[in-house]
Amino acid sequence: MGLRTHIKAPALAAALLAVVLALPCSALAMTTDKATAKPNEDGGSGVIGGMDTRLTWEGTVEEGESVDSVTLTIADDASFDGSTTRITVLEGLTRVNIEGEAAADGNSITVSFADPIPAGSLLRLEVTNMRFPSEGGDYSVEGSYVDGGQTKELAASPSISIIANTPLQSVVNWLDEQPWVAAWNSNQFLGMFFKPQLLVTSFSSLFPGWVLCLGIVIACYPFAIVLGLVFSLLKISKHRLCRAVAVVYINVLRGTPLFLQIYIMFFGLPMVGINIDNNLLGIIVMAVNSSAYLAEIFRAGIQSIPRGQYEAASSLGMSYVQTMFSVILPQTVRRVIPTVTSDFITAFKDTSLLSSVGVMELMMFSKNLTTVSGNITPYVAAGIFYLIVTLPLIKVVGVVEERIAASESGLSRKPRKRDQKKGVPSVQ
Amino acid sequence: MSTKLNLNASLDRRGFVAALGAAGALALAGCGSSKGGASASDAEAAYTLVEEGKIIVASDLANPPLDYVENNQNKGFEVELMEAVAEKLGLTCEYLPAMKFDAIIPLIKQGGKADVGVSNFTITDERKAEIDFSDPYLDSNQGVVTRADAEKDSADTLNADGVKIACQSGTTGETWAQENLPLATIVSLDDPVQAVTGVSTGLYDAAAADLPVMSYLCSQSFTDCKVAIEVPTGEQYGIVVSKDNPGLTQKINDALAELEADGTIADLQIKWFGAEV
Repeated sequence: MGLRTHIKAPALAAALLAVVLALPCSALAMTTDKATAKPNEDGGSGVIGGMDTRLTWEGTVEEGESVDSVTLTIADDASFDGSTTRITVLEGLTRVNIEGEAAADGNSITVSFADPIPAGSLLRLEVTNMRFPSEGGDYSVEGSYVDGGQTKELAASPSISIIANTPLQSVVNWLDEQPWVAAWNSNQFLGMFFKPQLLVTSFSSLFPGWVLCLGIVIACYPFAIVLGLVFSLLKISKHRLCRAVAVVYINVLRGTPLFLQIYIMFFGLPMVGINIDNNLLGIIVMAVNSSAYLAEIFRAGIQSIPRGQYEAASSLGMSYVQTMFSVILPQTVRRVIPTVTSDFITAFKDTSLLSSVGVMELMMFSKNLTTVSGNITPYVAAGIFYLIVTLPLIKVVGVVEERIAASESGLSRKPRKRDQKKGVPSVQ
Repeated sequence: MSTKLNLNASLDRRGFVAALGAAGALALAGCGSSKGGASASDAEAAYTLVEEGKIIVASDLANPPLDYVENNQNKGFEVELMEAVAEKLGLTCEYLPAMKFDAIIPLIKQGGKADVGVSNFTITDERKAEIDFSDPYLDSNQGVVTRADAEKDSADTLNADGVKIACQSGTTGETWAQENLPLATIVSLDDPVQAVTGVSTGLYDAAAADLPVMSYLCSQSFTDCKVAIEVPTGEQYGIVVSKDNPGLTQKINDALAELEADGTIADLQIKWFGAEV
């Protein structure tokens, strides 16, 4: 039954609209300009039925008419009970002050004006805290108006699509009813930082931002490693020019805030006519920035390999390139893994700065949600999302560091064991 | 013996801390009573102020020509209006450093930092549930800015997948965009200047904010942008006051009525908008 009315309502609306358009006398009727509803989905952009929202209806009073009252009606179990209405009358962009009173009656509301709305003006009604039917569907606002004692039909508005309650929203609504949640939230600190309802919605709506953060840092890192390696080799090169290039690159990037680099790239490049997709540009900025830090890490790693290794390699007749790639770098890799992982963690956290230039990442989503809800919980949820990635990595850094330390001290202990076997007294 | 001494010492320390705490509490109580003092003179509309003799204003100071900072000085229609209001109340007007727009209402609601929020706040029923508004002091509309050479410059073309609309977070412009351009991605930024900068550089397709601000930005700073859509919303700005301070709201309303009657508001409108609004 419910389904049938859904199909009927738009069809009816279309038919009505067609009739209104077809009528030659349509000039002598108040026109419906638009009707929209404010999104009320927590962390989303949908309009959910059965929950408070704000309906904005606009109509223009045609020539030769003056409107005393307007009645708006929405089908099914829509409700205007408990709503408040703001009346705005505009001539062009200039506001005309006209007071009025609204009387709600179930699924219709009648707004009567103290002075009739003059011809040619735009009437805008904002009904706050009304509800659309809970089962969702496409609804158009219909109704009537009174012009000098004569009641006339209003053209149906373009339909507003209403979604039925989402599973997420029902969880939130369930939480709303729980006494322990109310008790929890009544504590100002817990309610402001750990509101359960918002935690639930935050996790679902922040998820795409988290994926984008991860995507950006994972995509940028291989490039950062390659670039970093190139510049580290340039920095330890014998040629003065190569070294100068590397020093300038590394020092400028390490000596300026990433935030500034992001601003320069995001606002500067479009000004010179280079338009790159925001996410791609984010990857580029992050890669370039990380590469400078990685270059220093690699340089330190390479220089930490004892000179004896170079001498041994050259005694085997290896060239510089051969020495680098088959002797020095493999050893460097092992040594820099912990520091590189730390840098990866930093880079992952730094993606948050991209929110300031409109990349839809984790911070952006949580900022939006905090704005809407006036609550800090979305930020806490974002923090948890960051920790999901960083905590295991921090653990990895620790474990790897331990292993490297063990194996390096093991290397020096091994000969001692062998010495013991040979009967050489150990130096305890 | 030594433990006993230590115990005594720590007890003394604790006693000292307690005394300090008590002193602090007394000092706080003193503050409280001085707040009350401001209201004592006026019985009909008693009000409290954060600091005696001053009306402290919170604003984002990023909405020229209404409120903005130029050469380290606060300027704009609202800044001068608040000075006039303060004068009527026999107070001095002090602005807090610029803050984020969406932080102002929570700040006023919480109290203790600022007395009023004046940052072209549109009077809406949702906001009224949180705080009180003074009577309206200016009528406004919404404006959508695009690049002057943009192809997407109507509500229909902007309402599409992949279109980015920049807004100031927490504003009626943001709500308008969410409600009327549901297919576009809404990007919330800290202030409208940032939004229009992004439009000018091509980062966003359009920016939606209050029309007076948008017109000013397009004519003064961003000449490569245009006001593509003028949205007649007829919204009205009000001064934000805490619900705990109805006396102040009353006093501000009286002051606004006087300023309206003696032509001050009309003069300010001509000065800042070139015409009476």
